[in-house]
Amino acid sequence: MATPKKMNPAIALPSPRRFSDLLSSGLRSRAKPKRDAMEPPRSDEDKQLVSRTQAGEAGAFDELVVKYTPRLYGLIYNMTSNHEDTNDLLQDVFSKAYKSIGGFRGKSSFYTWIHSIAVNMTLNFLKKRGRRFHLSLDDMDASVQNDKEFLELTATSSPVREADLSELQRRLNEAMMKLSDEHRAVVTMFHIQGMPHAEISKILRVSEGTVRSRLFYANRQLQNYLDEFRKNPVS
Amino acid sequence: MNEFNEDDIGKLLRLKRHEQPPPGYFDNFLHEFHRRQRDELLRQPLWRICLQRAQDFMFRLNVPGLTSYPAAVTAVLVCAAVISLKVYQGPGIEKVAVVQNPTPVVASTLPETAWSLSSPVATRDLGPTLLRTAKYSSHTHRAATPPRYVLDSTPVSYEAAFRF
Amino acid sequence: MRPLSDFSLVPESLPRPLRAAASGLSLAVTFLVLLVGAQAQESSTSSISREVKEVFDKSAKAVVKVRGTDEHGEFAGTGFFIDPAGTLYTAFSVGGDADSLSVEFDGKKYPARVVMTDVRSGIAILKADIATPALPIGKSEQIEVATPIITIGYPLDLPETPSFGMIAGFDRKFLGRYFSTTHLRVNVPTQRGEAGAPILNFKGEVVGIVVSHIENGSACHALPIDAAEKIRNDFVRFGEARHGWIGISVTEAEKFKEGSRAEMTEIMKDTPAFGSGVILGDILLQIGKTKIREPEDVIDASFFITAGETVPITVLRGNEKLTFDIQAGFHPNSHQPAVIAAPGQNQSIPLRLDSVGRTP
Repeated sequence: MATPKKMNPAIALPSPRRFSDLLSSGLRSRAKPKRDAMEPPRSDEDKQLVSRTQAGEAGAFDELVVKYTPRLYGLIYNMTSNHEDTNDLLQDVFSKAYKSIGGFRGKSSFYTWIHSIAVNMTLNFLKKRGRRFHLSLDDMDASVQNDKEFLELTATSSPVREADLSELQRRLNEAMMKLSDEHRAVVTMFHIQGMPHAEISKILRVSEGTVRSRLFYANRQLQNYLDEFRKNPVS
Repeated sequence: MNEFNEDDIGKLLRLKRHEQPPPGYFDNFLHEFHRRQRDELLRQPLWRICLQRAQDFMFRLNVPGLTSYPAAVTAVLVCAAVISLKVYQGPGIEKVAVVQNPTPVVASTLPETAWSLSSPVATRDLGPTLLRTAKYSSHTHRAATPPRYVLDSTPVSYEAAFRF
Repeated sequence: MRPLSDFSLVPESLPRPLRAAASGLSLAVTFLVLLVGAQAQESSTSSISREVKEVFDKSAKAVVKVRGTDEHGEFAGTGFFIDPAGTLYTAFSVGGDADSLSVEFDGKKYPARVVMTDVRSGIAILKADIATPALPIGKSEQIEVATPIITIGYPLDLPETPSFGMIAGFDRKFLGRYFSTTHLRVNVPTQRGEAGAPILNFKGEVVGIVVSHIENGSACHALPIDAAEKIRNDFVRFGEARHGWIGISVTEAEKFKEGSRAEMTEIMKDTPAFGSGVILGDILLQIGKTKIREPEDVIDASFFITAGETVPITVLRGNEKLTFDIQAGFHPNSHQPAVIAAPGQNQSIPLRLDSVGRTP
């Protein structure tokens, strides 16, 4: 074998395809209907699955994994902006959950518990990772075409519509990365995952007031970044 | 004064829900999870695996009292005694140094919760035999589903340290 | 403007009809020369596509779809025959842990059984009891970055499909984790279902086995065939993979000494290294034929050590170069004794914790 030539550490990733691709029929078709990760979980079902897992039924934990993977994927992905890191973290989260589920007493819901693990592991990971220069972004799923707000944004006249929506989305991702890890976490949980303030405060173990103020601050930051882009559209 | 108001930001952010991993990702996830668990299990030292197997065996006998640590240790010691007796009685077999495994490789760099002997669940072996007895949840497998097309995102094993 | 005949190569002294014939001939020759020249230049792409097609036509029959069931249900992957008796290579993630394996060959389905599986290398060897074509085995040590290659696989539910690409690199690690041995990184589109597909050079020889994909399938990692063959040779000789073990840990020293900064920082008890003469602080220079410069060089050397074989280990101690011949024991993951009593002697039966024929 030839002497391994040193690999360039900054892995060049293909540029993410965004709305522009969608509009030119670059859609990815799916065999299965998209799981709606945003519906609130059924906590009584979770309680059952947890006790069955604790009783030794291996298949029960599998069901929890299947149920929570899409939701947790979204959470971790939007905090890390990287598919590979998300995959690794997701594996570690479930691994940790599996190891410690014996001691889970049900003081909080399983939903809160596993989201705590996910958020905390991800924040620790981000601290270690530091700044990453290349994002590995997932593509837009075809389901966005049915999204009410997407249709609104592209139909009504608003500052959003005037700018190129796909470029805007790219800037938004960049802006997200500029936020501190903690701020990105609350933005992800509230706006993207649709979690209520109360739930976020339980997960982060901070007061609801803190959650609200972090959201307010983060939102303001994002607005500023996007405005800057509008004024100086140089890449 | 911002051109983008809170509402617009919220809408744009919500659209990110539609950024999804490649097709088939979720289908394959559980499989990779099991594989990782098995890999981690196999990296444990021999004595720990024996202990888990003994506890497992007792558990399957449905005798809760026997799943305790002392019972499991006794079982392992008895088995080891029987086996070593057989070994020593074997014709002309040299005594071989019993391997003392070096510190088990830590599979993950993230901090792990301590392995608890009191929770049989935490040591549950994810081996094929157990999993086959539990029917896989119906909402992911129906008669008409195509087979899982295999191509993992990481190789099955890796080296955690520089040793040989 | 001078008439064309003035440019003729034909001497004027020849009689007229002969001259005409000669002109015609010389024109024809010129035309043919130009034509051949044009074709040669025509494009390297059409000659590449011809070569790809040749390799595909020659090799496709020996590449098969592998099916099986495991605890999650049915799955499908790819494998390829390497002898006329139906022995085939596939990835561990395809053949490693499955029931009711079968291969689809020549339009028919045949049962296949596991001959051996090996997690460390990530491969499985299966066998279908039928007469089959076979792919010749190449040498992965001969390939380099930018070597063009072809894969043939069964993506999703599609029939055997060729892909063209090239070797992009040789990776020791990926995403912060070290492979068990250097893997090929190949820029070739790979889809689900192609685990186990062969990587072929333009001679149609196998140089790698696809094991995992990168970045949504625009590239993949493949086990070099030399690594797979090491495992298979172990099986031929001993009936199982024999991962060897010396018992030394190395870490990065501050400075390079004699070209190496791999310092021995642990010599494990009850291993062949213990008492062999090497001591802590020795700088590792060579393991067998492999020169060591960095601690990570140890990974490849380690993979190719066979339990039971004697490995010369060269170290630097102070200013002296010393070589120790150490007999390798079994790798800890094999759950077999690390120290082998004597070569060729019967070992005590180890406590087998997994199904027969499988090395952890």
